[in-house]
Amino acid sequence: MTTTTKSGAGVSRYLRLYRVLSQALTEGRIGVGAPLPSEPRLMREYGVSRSTVRRALARLEAEGRIERKRGSGTFARIRKAETATPRDLSHVLDAGASPSTTASSRTIAFQHIATPPFLLSERPAFGATVLLVRQIRYVERKPVVLQTAYVPEDVGGGLTRQRIGDEAGAILTVLASLGHPSSSLEREFAALEADPLAASSLGLTVGAPVFNVRTLARDPEERILAYLNSLYRPDRYEAHARIEIGGAGRHRQETQG
Amino acid sequence: MATPRSRRLKPSPARDAALTSRRIDKGVARYYRLYELLSTALQDGTIAPRSALPSEPDLCARHGISRTTVRRALDRLEREGRIVRRRGSGTYARAQRAVPRFCFELHALPETLAALESRTTMTTLHSNPAPVPAALRAMAADLGATAYLLQRLRRSQGEPLSLTTAYLPEPIGQRLRQQKRSGMSVLAMLRRLGQPTAAVRYSVGAIPADADAARALEVPLGSPLLRVRSVLTDEAGGLRAVLESLCRSDRLQFKMLEPTPT
Repeated sequence: MTTTTKSGAGVSRYLRLYRVLSQALTEGRIGVGAPLPSEPRLMREYGVSRSTVRRALARLEAEGRIERKRGSGTFARIRKAETATPRDLSHVLDAGASPSTTASSRTIAFQHIATPPFLLSERPAFGATVLLVRQIRYVERKPVVLQTAYVPEDVGGGLTRQRIGDEAGAILTVLASLGHPSSSLEREFAALEADPLAASSLGLTVGAPVFNVRTLARDPEERILAYLNSLYRPDRYEAHARIEIGGAGRHRQETQG
Repeated sequence: MATPRSRRLKPSPARDAALTSRRIDKGVARYYRLYELLSTALQDGTIAPRSALPSEPDLCARHGISRTTVRRALDRLEREGRIVRRRGSGTYARAQRAVPRFCFELHALPETLAALESRTTMTTLHSNPAPVPAALRAMAADLGATAYLLQRLRRSQGEPLSLTTAYLPEPIGQRLRQQKRSGMSVLAMLRRLGQPTAAVRYSVGAIPADADAARALEVPLGSPLLRVRSVLTDEAGGLRAVLESLCRSDRLQFKMLEPTPT
């Protein structure tokens, strides 16, 4: 095997180059019919060998996303059902979303566990054990997010796999229907590498970027309702927000997705 | 090089349990699973700073994987500066250097920008008229096909945090260029020019680092970066600027509270 050196933190260089080109094609930075940079240029720009460049191009070609014309170059192609930009799926995925026929979920874990140290150290209110619900959520049968919910025992009493499935995995919606409406959300955003579980759940390769949203939901009495750790496919989901800046630094906001 | 079983490896039931708790599955990413396992152990202190990691043959035997796979996982940890391999002696956990971390609070925009400005510096990489990428044009149609581009790198104590590319209507862009205040955000610079921003629309997601971003932010090609796109508008909804920030998620955290605390 080739040991990866400078440019690859463990993931092979060809995969990295593939991802970067794939992103440029998906976003239309290389428009349909437009030429890709030449092989020598890609080699120079990314500091990789010819065979690495060819491997990345071969994969894009196999996916039908580029066309290599002998003697003339490599060109971007239209792919069927291409999503040009990550869609805002908040209307089908998030709390308060109206039940949608296009959203579904599969629960892959539903168990009571000892509260993980990372939760307990920051939020002792969780108590010694929590209900863990891990699911893959789909829109139009395509996986969008691997979501792990940690629910305090005194809140999660009425939760069942059935109810969660009925709401296509919208845990906060189910909790609201059980008399635990969320009144505030604290969210953190991050970009992470897909671990093997996220990769296989979302149809990505290990190490591919995933969009991580960690949400802490509280009820009107400030009691913790759930901590959600969501790993989204970045080509299918983005978070949106609008912040208004008034005079003297006062502002309002509305958020979604 | 023959790596002897480390004689300095002291028995540690907790560490051994953590490292053998799951036998590593066969599959595409066996190396990754070992990497993840060791990475977690290093992070939570199961393998304490300066203590020895299990030897290569030991890791092979415990997890039923090849030497090559073990080395690949260790190579990566070494590249990340988390372990040090001493010839003839073994592999040791490194004490982590404190990396500056910042929290960007989207719900408290002016305050969080002010805090960031006071603790970081900006270097201008590009400032020139340039075509606007289609994806950004779609977010702000009145920007037009070309705009004034201002690309800057934000650092803290020399470490890169984010690469921000602003697209501004040309006359404003030309005036901004003359503002030499390092560290100042586009929003603050516009305010100084008597062009206050009334609202910001955000889209936040993740992308792989391309060649330029990888170079500027000193990360490997294809590494995950947080991408924050924002559209700044005035009172009447007119466009002030469109920004695209690529951020190192390990150094710049983004938070948002809803509803905004009063």
